[in-house]
Amino acid sequence: MADKKKVIVRVKRQAGPKQEARWEEFALDWRPSMNVIIALRDIAENPLTRDGQKTTPVSYDSNCLEEICGSCAMVINGKARMACSALIDDLEQPIRIEPLSKFPVVRDLAVDRQFMFESLKRVHAWVPIDGTYDLGEGPRVSPETQEKGYPLSNCITCGSCLEVCPQVNEKNPFIGAAIISQVRLFNMHPTGAMHARERLEALMGPGGIADCANAQNCVQACPKGIPLTESIAEVNRQVWKQALFGWLLG
Amino acid sequence: MSAKVFRPDRSYLLRKLHSLSGIVPVGAFLAEHFWSNSTVLVSISKYNETSRELQTIPFRIFAEALMIWLPILYHGCYGIHIWMRGKSNVSDYPWVGNWLYTLQRATGLVAFVYIGWHVYAERFLTHGKSTYGDMERTLQNPYALAFMAVGIVASSFHFGIGIWNFLCKWGLTATVQAQRAAGRLGVLVGLAFSLVGILILVSFRLNWHPFEFYIK
Repeated sequence: MADKKKVIVRVKRQAGPKQEARWEEFALDWRPSMNVIIALRDIAENPLTRDGQKTTPVSYDSNCLEEICGSCAMVINGKARMACSALIDDLEQPIRIEPLSKFPVVRDLAVDRQFMFESLKRVHAWVPIDGTYDLGEGPRVSPETQEKGYPLSNCITCGSCLEVCPQVNEKNPFIGAAIISQVRLFNMHPTGAMHARERLEALMGPGGIADCANAQNCVQACPKGIPLTESIAEVNRQVWKQALFGWLLG
Repeated sequence: MSAKVFRPDRSYLLRKLHSLSGIVPVGAFLAEHFWSNSTVLVSISKYNETSRELQTIPFRIFAEALMIWLPILYHGCYGIHIWMRGKSNVSDYPWVGNWLYTLQRATGLVAFVYIGWHVYAERFLTHGKSTYGDMERTLQNPYALAFMAVGIVASSFHFGIGIWNFLCKWGLTATVQAQRAAGRLGVLVGLAFSLVGILILVSFRLNWHPFEFYIK
């Protein structure tokens, strides 16, 4: 049998949150429809570097393998994207795989996205339905609102929009496009709208919506095609109206 | 029970003020400045008349300080503060919007330095009585001419792209189509302002007054 086609992969490794990062190169057997997750799985199966050194399997997050869980976002060949939909045949080799740079690394490619979940809590990104008694049915959601809200509800909190945003960095704790878009979603929901003001006020704080500088990278990078710039514009309008007229008109 | 009045964070208000000040009064003054200076395209005397008119407005020093100097100083200084807190990644993600983000910072800095020199040379060195002759003399220096051309183009595009940013950031253009139109408007303003500015420079430099036939 002729030599098997090889796939050269370079992975940025880091043993722990405070450890030094280093690169390791792997030569894997090519197979049809291979994606980055399969490559990482192959490494785990046989953790040998290209020059035959024994190493540990690469840590990474992944779950659904179909771009709906949001856990496998990483930087592949310098671009933030989902590893599950990154096909090896479409990528220039050697394929460079790095963890997202805007979140603390847990180990290797696994990062801690707690910042995004804290942010969702900060803006009350939910519709409150629990009470001490049955609150009954809420108002009906118009088909128009449903149609607008559905694409926004596709957000998988993968963090790609934060990764590509020049305003998100260690000096600037900008909340990011995904969270702002969730504010739009829950503010347009008739029951969620009852807490619209709290969400808008949360975005007037440090790292809030004013830190957006309109580079519009988020909408380019979003794997779910969410109209993030539209959401930011819409929520920006809601926020300044509240900020400006809130104390003026109540 | 009344809801408590919520005060936005100071950084939010400063940021909004920065955005607004770029349009009014700074952008508005830029438009006025090009408008007034373009009288040189008609004639030297019309230019000197217009200059005199502007130099003798009532409460001049207050109007200048409150509507021109302070807003530009605030917009420039806070703009640098904003720049310091961002981290351009246009080499990794060379998308149009990202380029505009990076250029907006570069043109802003060039414009700010240029405006500082321009105000010093044409407002303070002339004791606020600048005439056609003063400008003509300044522009005899090829470096001054080049710096003015760069300053004009940087200010024009900073304002043009700023209009786009303003419309997006205040949610006045929200849909993708509206934002695209706003972007085109911004580029158009940048081009138009640059063109008029360069024509004004040519007029001073070559003693060229294409609209002189109006008064002949």
